[in-house]
Amino acid sequence: MSDAPARGIDPRGPRFAAGITSALLLVDVLLGLTGLSTARADAVWFAYQPLAEATFVPGAAEWAIGYASLAQRALDPAFLLLFVIALLFLWGVLSPRTAPWGVLYRKAVQPRLSPPTELEDPRPPRFAQGVGLVVTAIGLALHLAGVPWALPVAAAMAFVAAFLNAVFGLCLGCQLYLLLQRMGLVGRERAAA
Amino acid sequence: MSALVGLAVLLTATVALGVFLRWRQNRPRRHIPHEIVQPERLGADGLGEIATLLQFSTELCARCPGVHRTLSAVAAAHDGVRHLDIDLTHRPDIARHFHVLQTPTTLILDRNGAVQTRFGGAPNRDVLELELARLTSETATHV
Repeated sequence: MSDAPARGIDPRGPRFAAGITSALLLVDVLLGLTGLSTARADAVWFAYQPLAEATFVPGAAEWAIGYASLAQRALDPAFLLLFVIALLFLWGVLSPRTAPWGVLYRKAVQPRLSPPTELEDPRPPRFAQGVGLVVTAIGLALHLAGVPWALPVAAAMAFVAAFLNAVFGLCLGCQLYLLLQRMGLVGRERAAA
Repeated sequence: MSALVGLAVLLTATVALGVFLRWRQNRPRRHIPHEIVQPERLGADGLGEIATLLQFSTELCARCPGVHRTLSAVAAAHDGVRHLDIDLTHRPDIARHFHVLQTPTTLILDRNGAVQTRFGGAPNRDVLELELARLTSETATHV
């Protein structure tokens, strides 16, 4: 912390972090597809999760999550992992310098690579972390509310964005900025000085 | 088992999307309205004598600085070609006018200021050179 504040960040750092994030999100999609959020409310599921208030309708395509209690929804492994990922997104928005994957990159990866040929503005990746936070938070909230498929769908959307960033260097979150601006959600026109 | 199929579909679709987006940003679009751009309305004092590379950026655009360097280098290597970089962060009116939905977006203007080519994304330097060569030869035949 003794050196002067850098004018920019190594652009490979956010892509390294996006690679780890996309791997975690892919695992979470798998957990979601095999877990509570996509489980059907059939006899097999209720054999493991006996509920007093559950009313089982034979043949009806009901989802198990509708019968699960709030605690059961919150203890679903896919929910817990996505919650951790969302906290990491929040960390990346609040304090990008101390976010774990960025620290790991600077401590373990960057010393082994050649110095960056160009530095990048830290604001776009930070904005993209915010987009990831919003997407995962919506998935978590809908899951807690008992909406089936919300969790793996939100994780899959975040995965697509993180994977494209890590592998292709495309930043969907950054490209969204003008769309959000057009909808009036961000970047209001600055009053003439 | 079906969950693994789902994962495979997700991965394949994502890779296909990435390949498609990368391919598309190197494709010049020429069938666009050939509107005459007035540099004064963008806060610039003039256009290039042969062509102008008009770049639209925002503060939150990760690839804009890289495209800025590429376009500046291309403009510096050609006489009469000028590079203008317009920050749309606080100018949604300009973004609306040119229907800019993503940054960077690059327009190539001819010597009259008419929009000839449009690139969405980060264009490859060779593709840019090709477009400029096309414009330069057209300018030469018209003179």
